[in-house]
Amino acid sequence: MKVAIVDYGMGNIRSIASALKYINVRDIVISSNEKELSKSDKLILPGVGSFASAMKFIKGRGLDATLNELVIQQEKPVLGICLGMQLLGMSSDEDGVNQGLGFIDGVVDVFDDDNVTVPHVGFNQVALKHPSLLYQNMQDTLDFYFVHSHKMTANSDIGQSFCHYDESFVASFEKGNIAGTQFHPELSQKNGLNVLKNFMELF
Amino acid sequence: MCKKEIFWCNNCLNMSTRPRITFDDRGYCNACQWLEEKKIMDWKPREEELVNLLDKYRSTNGNFDCVVPVSGGKDGSYVAHQLKHKYGMNPLAITVKPALSLEIGDQNITNFIRSGYNHIHISCNPIVLDRLNKYGFIEKGFPYYGWLIAIMTAVIKTATNFKIPLIFYGEDGEVEYGGSTESKNKSLYDMEYMKRVYLEGGHAKVFDRIKADGDISDTDLAFFQFPAEEEISGIGLSFTHWSYYEAWDSYRNYIVAKDHCGLIEKDEGNQDTFTNFAQNDQALYSLHAYLMYLKFGFGRATQDAGIEIRRGAMTRGQAINLVKMYDNAYPEELIETYLAYYQMTKDEFDAVLDKYVNKDLFEKKDGVWQPKFDVAQDFSY
Amino acid sequence: MLRKRIIFTLIYENGFFNQSRNFRLQKVGNIDWLEKNYRLQDISFSLDEIIVLNASKGDKDIKRFATILNRLVDDVFIPIAAGGGVNSIADAEMLFKNGADKIVLNSALYEKPNMVKEIVQHYGKQSVVASVDYINQDVFIKNGVQKIDTPLDLYIKHIESLNVGEVYLNSIEQDGTGFGYDIDTIQKISSEIKIPLIVAGGAGNEKHLLKAISMGNVNAVATANLFNFIGDGWPNARRYMLENNCNLAEWKS
Repeated sequence: MKVAIVDYGMGNIRSIASALKYINVRDIVISSNEKELSKSDKLILPGVGSFASAMKFIKGRGLDATLNELVIQQEKPVLGICLGMQLLGMSSDEDGVNQGLGFIDGVVDVFDDDNVTVPHVGFNQVALKHPSLLYQNMQDTLDFYFVHSHKMTANSDIGQSFCHYDESFVASFEKGNIAGTQFHPELSQKNGLNVLKNFMELF
Repeated sequence: MCKKEIFWCNNCLNMSTRPRITFDDRGYCNACQWLEEKKIMDWKPREEELVNLLDKYRSTNGNFDCVVPVSGGKDGSYVAHQLKHKYGMNPLAITVKPALSLEIGDQNITNFIRSGYNHIHISCNPIVLDRLNKYGFIEKGFPYYGWLIAIMTAVIKTATNFKIPLIFYGEDGEVEYGGSTESKNKSLYDMEYMKRVYLEGGHAKVFDRIKADGDISDTDLAFFQFPAEEEISGIGLSFTHWSYYEAWDSYRNYIVAKDHCGLIEKDEGNQDTFTNFAQNDQALYSLHAYLMYLKFGFGRATQDAGIEIRRGAMTRGQAINLVKMYDNAYPEELIETYLAYYQMTKDEFDAVLDKYVNKDLFEKKDGVWQPKFDVAQDFSY
Repeated sequence: MLRKRIIFTLIYENGFFNQSRNFRLQKVGNIDWLEKNYRLQDISFSLDEIIVLNASKGDKDIKRFATILNRLVDDVFIPIAAGGGVNSIADAEMLFKNGADKIVLNSALYEKPNMVKEIVQHYGKQSVVASVDYINQDVFIKNGVQKIDTPLDLYIKHIESLNVGEVYLNSIEQDGTGFGYDIDTIQKISSEIKIPLIVAGGAGNEKHLLKAISMGNVNAVATANLFNFIGDGWPNARRYMLENNCNLAEWKS
């Protein structure tokens, strides 16, 4: 079982690698190289930072094409985390409208800071929507760690579970081989580690 | 066979083994009870007593009117500071040089003096001091017994010679930290109390031993002798504790000493406690604390933890972890220093420790005494 | 419902972790000591976040600091914010690369506001924590040594204008005293501040933590008290706060 953490220059790769090692994932590669990524069985797309910068890096390395091939054509399981999840969507309004990778039907916009304190930072509750592979064997409402200023909403069913902050937004989604969590599973204690385990074992 | 039990204060971690300590029906030791009293009592009458006392003795001709024994540490510095700056007295600060003084201790004395005090540094004849310390260590398990005597006797002698009628010690440790409460409501005390309580009646025994050596005479012991009662009543010398007149607060003393008297702390903590701002004047203190641990089951960390608990900075539960971590501290780092100082071999040194350890509470494992008890778990034997 | 957070701050200086008292440091132990006495892998189940600050004077040796950060990150699965002496984008980059989930900026907020904006632009506002050290209305930078002329309330506004994610408000006067937090100032600042607020300075035990975290606009409580929470200190503190109806995350075992 080979896992590749996509390294496009933004993202807390160390924490993710650490968490994976803790749940006994041994074969981890960190790369943006097409060959390396295509050898892996699963992909993790991390992300910390701005949407625009991230897409710029991704396009700059030709990763959009690579990921399209691996995720859409070859249907390799991919887990997008935080910004990584947002990148899998259609677009974001951060710094003007930017196109995402377009793999799932979700749109990202900013929290309204007239209503709530932004960024949304800390543990918050996610109402786990079953059936779910990410949350298999996990009970109904659990705390996960969020740290973001932008949120995703989706008009169609992408297997999303919601968190509520000012309004309900997509805390996670799973559709086929494509999954994403707005929260950081690698920073969410036992709950997060279980989600990572489920991604590793069930996707 | 009667089973004996040791127990811990339910508020701080003072142990029932502490000499002269008492507990109330909640299991609170007298130091914790006193703290509660301190918070609610009206201190005005006592402050008035202080003002009256000071008015009575305040110098009108520029001479010194009170003596404050200081070590450069927070407590003496605080008392001197209050006397001079709050009450307009003219204190003479006196330090009795300890054996094996620490650099930071010396620096603190310098800083204290520099902050604006008249000061006398007394060096008792080190040959005599060292001998008394050694015999105190062997005969009483008090590693710096000679110094403990001198901080009373040498100070009294100096005060008498300068005709200064008032000596302000800092706190009465018995009342503040646990022990006899007999002086709790007494503003003044006397040499009898000093000999009986502070020196635990061992003064004469150690003197007998030193005189039996034959090479040290009465004149050599001048700084270590209590004067006769008539001598001091002649000049009307009174001893008192600052802690009688104002609620004693170690941490407050530390802040004032830092801000006004140049007190500095160690960069590092100590091997045997988590604080770095107390008892920094002499290397023998750690041995004193370790002997206390072997005799009674509590060490320096327990004392410091008690202060932290009583001032609300730490809970008892938190303190237990720290005491477990620090109390049992054989002074590894200083052992060579001690052996050289006492001119003893390690075997001789360990034999003294063996003499004082409470074998109901400790057992030897790999040559080191280890507690049979768990901190704060009632223990019977 | 968004939970409040308990944050443990570690003060690092030249290879060691320290107890700070009014910004005077007492060396306590290195990372081995920390791992042994706190069993980091376990206690992180009682904490929400860790902040590690490089308070080294002179040359901060950010490279060495980054290696310590590495080890911390490997031990725990909660967010770690790191900072102290971040003077350039490259410094920030190094910390992120070595495991920091967020970075903490202090003197740069005053001295290099453009750099701050750049970091926020690139890494996102949620990645930046602004640390403010104060006594009453006076703000100090450079490990509490240099007083700046902007008073505290205006300085907070200035920080908000830099679009950072959170503020870490630290009382120099209360620091390490165990007297509890500076409730008056926290009351004032929390009623005006628009971004998440972390309060620090003065906490010695769980009662102090509870008092501050129960205040309306306080998002998180932090303590750098390295002694008081040793051993089972953190699990006990969290349990106490949950028993007193504190809105904290719970992780079922």
